[in-house]
Amino acid sequence: MDADALIQLSGVTKRYDSSGQPAVDNVSLQIGAGESVAVMGPSGSGKSTLLNVIAGLDRPTSGTVTVAGERIDKLSETGVAKFRRRKVGMIFQFFNLLDDLTVADNVLLPAQLAGLSRGQARQRAGSLLDRLGLAEHRQAYPARLSGGQRQRVAIARALVNSPELLLADEPTGALDTTTGEEIGALLAELNAAGQTMVLVTHNPDLAARYASRTVQLVDGRVTSDVVAAVPR
Amino acid sequence: MNIRPVLKAASGGVSRKRTQTAVIFLVLLVSTAAATLGLALLANSSGPFDRGFAAQHGADVTMGFSSARASDGQLAATRKLPGVTGSDGPFPATEVTLAHAGFQLPLATVVGRGSAGGKVDDLTLTAGHWPDGSGQIVLANNTYLVPDVGQQLTVENAPGKPKLTVVGFANSITNTADGWVLPSQVAALRPAGQPPAAEMLYSFAKAGTAAQVRADQAEIDAAVPAGAVTEHESWLVAKAQAAGAGSIIAPFVVAFALIGLVMSVLIVANVVSGAVVAGYRRIGVLKSIGFTPPQVVSAYLARIGLPALFGCLLGVAVGNWLARPVLDKSAPVYGVGSQSVPLWVNVLVPAAMFALVLLTALVPALRAGRLSAIQAIATGQAPSQGRGYAAHRFAAGLRLPRPVSIGLAAPFARPGRTVVTLAAIAFGAVAVIFAVGLDASLAQASDGQTHASAVQVQAGPNGPGGIGLGGSRDHAVRAALRSVPGTSRYVAEDFLELGVPGLSQPVNAEAFAGNASWTGYQLISGHWYHGTGQADVNTGFLQATGLSLGDSVRVSAGTSTVRVRIVGEVFDPQGKDQGAMLTSWQTLGGSAAGLRIQQYDIGVKPGVSVPGYASQLGSDLGQRYFVGTTAHSGQFYQIAEGLIAILTLMLAVVAGLGVLNTVLISTRDRVHDLGVFKAVGMTPRQVIAMVVCWVVAPAVIAAAIAIPAAMALHVATVNAMGQAAGTGISSVIMDVYKPAEIVLLALSALVIAAIGALLPAGWAAGARTATALRAE
Repeated sequence: MDADALIQLSGVTKRYDSSGQPAVDNVSLQIGAGESVAVMGPSGSGKSTLLNVIAGLDRPTSGTVTVAGERIDKLSETGVAKFRRRKVGMIFQFFNLLDDLTVADNVLLPAQLAGLSRGQARQRAGSLLDRLGLAEHRQAYPARLSGGQRQRVAIARALVNSPELLLADEPTGALDTTTGEEIGALLAELNAAGQTMVLVTHNPDLAARYASRTVQLVDGRVTSDVVAAVPR
Repeated sequence: MNIRPVLKAASGGVSRKRTQTAVIFLVLLVSTAAATLGLALLANSSGPFDRGFAAQHGADVTMGFSSARASDGQLAATRKLPGVTGSDGPFPATEVTLAHAGFQLPLATVVGRGSAGGKVDDLTLTAGHWPDGSGQIVLANNTYLVPDVGQQLTVENAPGKPKLTVVGFANSITNTADGWVLPSQVAALRPAGQPPAAEMLYSFAKAGTAAQVRADQAEIDAAVPAGAVTEHESWLVAKAQAAGAGSIIAPFVVAFALIGLVMSVLIVANVVSGAVVAGYRRIGVLKSIGFTPPQVVSAYLARIGLPALFGCLLGVAVGNWLARPVLDKSAPVYGVGSQSVPLWVNVLVPAAMFALVLLTALVPALRAGRLSAIQAIATGQAPSQGRGYAAHRFAAGLRLPRPVSIGLAAPFARPGRTVVTLAAIAFGAVAVIFAVGLDASLAQASDGQTHASAVQVQAGPNGPGGIGLGGSRDHAVRAALRSVPGTSRYVAEDFLELGVPGLSQPVNAEAFAGNASWTGYQLISGHWYHGTGQADVNTGFLQATGLSLGDSVRVSAGTSTVRVRIVGEVFDPQGKDQGAMLTSWQTLGGSAAGLRIQQYDIGVKPGVSVPGYASQLGSDLGQRYFVGTTAHSGQFYQIAEGLIAILTLMLAVVAGLGVLNTVLISTRDRVHDLGVFKAVGMTPRQVIAMVVCWVVAPAVIAAAIAIPAAMALHVATVNAMGQAAGTGISSVIMDVYKPAEIVLLALSALVIAAIGALLPAGWAAGARTATALRAE
């Protein structure tokens, strides 16, 4: 086991149905701090399941999952929630913003749950919204924003607690090409600033342009794990 | 219409949405049970005596005869008199003095009957069995005697003081006896010197009015030798007695029954319409694969209807099961042998509940049937955008933990559902607050009648005549009272009947030889009498005489007549228009006017064992005196309190289920949002707090509505009960809600809401985040 690895998966298998094919089949993987890893594969290959297991949103049927030094497969539901607050930010294909909260309240939520002081949380959310070009939309509701704006709100929310790990599940899947590229560039910028990132995508261009390593999954198994020959 | 896909879709829905199916089943079960109980109580509170009289073939006239003057043959011949439609007897009878556990009981009529059944006055055995040998007695269950089967009574005035074991209790609708033994036993119980007697029971063709009953009695009188008739009792007397107690209990039974019925209907409508709306997405999917609107409607009616039907059927059975002990308790209060759930209630309630289910399901199902597939899917998803946003914005500014503030704002997204939840909580809270108040009022009323908290022990001379005030026996009693440790205070009194001009019935009076203001009489208005010439009276006196406080009245006691001024109205119900007067010994002329001490009312110091005190006083005074402890509450109050407890519990459960269902539906609606909350780090405990907070705002508003509503219902009900009992209500009985208690009672709304919300909150907390995020 690599002591420097931020994510360490060992023999991870996830089955939804005890008699059926596993969604993730005996996957072992190490991801170091600062890496940007794209997980690719056809539909149903287990990409999102793998991401959920790393985020602690789902538990492996067998194997161990260590993230930022914590065995999250052993944590209680409360423990795994607290782990997510501190260590992980998540971005989803369909944004998963809360429609009845304003942009600012959506971004503030993880910080408030983590117990950050009101002032600190507002300051952090404010600077993130400024940085992502959303300052003028702070009091808007998600339904009034474009897809790209919503995804940027989701990114701000994912970053508000300064997580060690950013997980993105098809972050451009619901966006048009131009907006998708904007979001891709933003993610690359974050990674360049040292943010460790795992990115699930169908899009080989996105993987090639913004990830330094690509893991290929087929039928829940890792079929290739390639580090970009030329660093970006 | 092809029925197979409809059934398939319905059964698929039932098995897939197990929790919601279980809630529909449970809500219908509890609501049908509550409605069955409520309607059964309503039905039985309406004319219970008349129905009991018909069922038990009550005797229009019960007549006592001297067997020395009229033979059994002569009595049997009266059966054939014109106008007599039914008769039973002659039964041997005797008047005995029974004693239980050392205490002598009032004179009792014991009749010899071979069985409980009969052509007239069919007795209902309410406990134990009919005597099957000598030495056994069945007691009337509306008498003052002993409470349990198996206890022994001594016949004090029969030769050899024979013992009788209580083997059962029975109800005679027309109170034809205080106890029954086998006919062969009566002779052994007859006191020395008492002539043999017999009892006959008659039904007449016409006995609806007092005049008709008098004519019927006269017909029998004329048919037997002169002087043979020793006693007659009209069924109208029993009816008046039963109506008194029954009419007191009816107002609160009706109040509870109505709350139960309204709440049942409300919650069922909410549950069912909510279930259909929650299924809109599935309806959309069914339509998209080719279901026609009628098939969609049928599938949803079947999906909701199946668990509802089972709930209704089991609910009516549970309602009957619950009604049994309640009706067993209410029957003696109404003066009838037994009460049951009428057949029409057992048919009407489940049918009406099921019809309500179908009707409330039909409206949203028809609407869904008319929607396009896409519209149905969209309607079945998140609440309409824009609702509740302002509430969320406001809540975000509150200095509260974020899960709490989000939870508090959530109800504003679904105002219609919130209003129904609020109504369910409000009805439940009204029931609880009303019940607590009523219970406190009944306890005060009971104390106002028994005076048990002021006068713990009563003592007096055995036998007739009483003792003279200031005489040697009075001195002896007072010396004993002073010497027994624990005596706090005491006052001697005489009981007498006063004649009042214009009143056909005498007024029951108590003349106290000393300060009696501490004896626990509750003042309705005015003040306690002080000084000669003043008196307090009960409401019945004021109503019967038309007098008011401050008026004077001449009353006659024996041969003397005195003028008294009415200075206070006391709570002392004695039946409609039955007057009572409380005054001083001197006001009624004192010993010179023939007043004699019948009883000493004794207050015992706090902390002293009352039975121990009574026992010591009894042994100090000896056999010539009775000593008894004051019973804390009569049978009526015990029954009423039992009824209140069971009805409140049921209504609170129904209200809690209503909340549970609404929160469950909301949880299902918001399952995706719950996934998001958890994904960004909300812990299970925070999820539970948030979901419970969904119902906090409705609960607070419900409490604000329930408190004044319950207090108003309490005032109306207690006044109605007072009116039925022919008495005004003292402020002690009415003002039972103290400010601190009101705050605590308001919590009942929160408790009902929180308990109802906890189960779905736990489900939300335990749901897998990844699964919730996948939900649409």
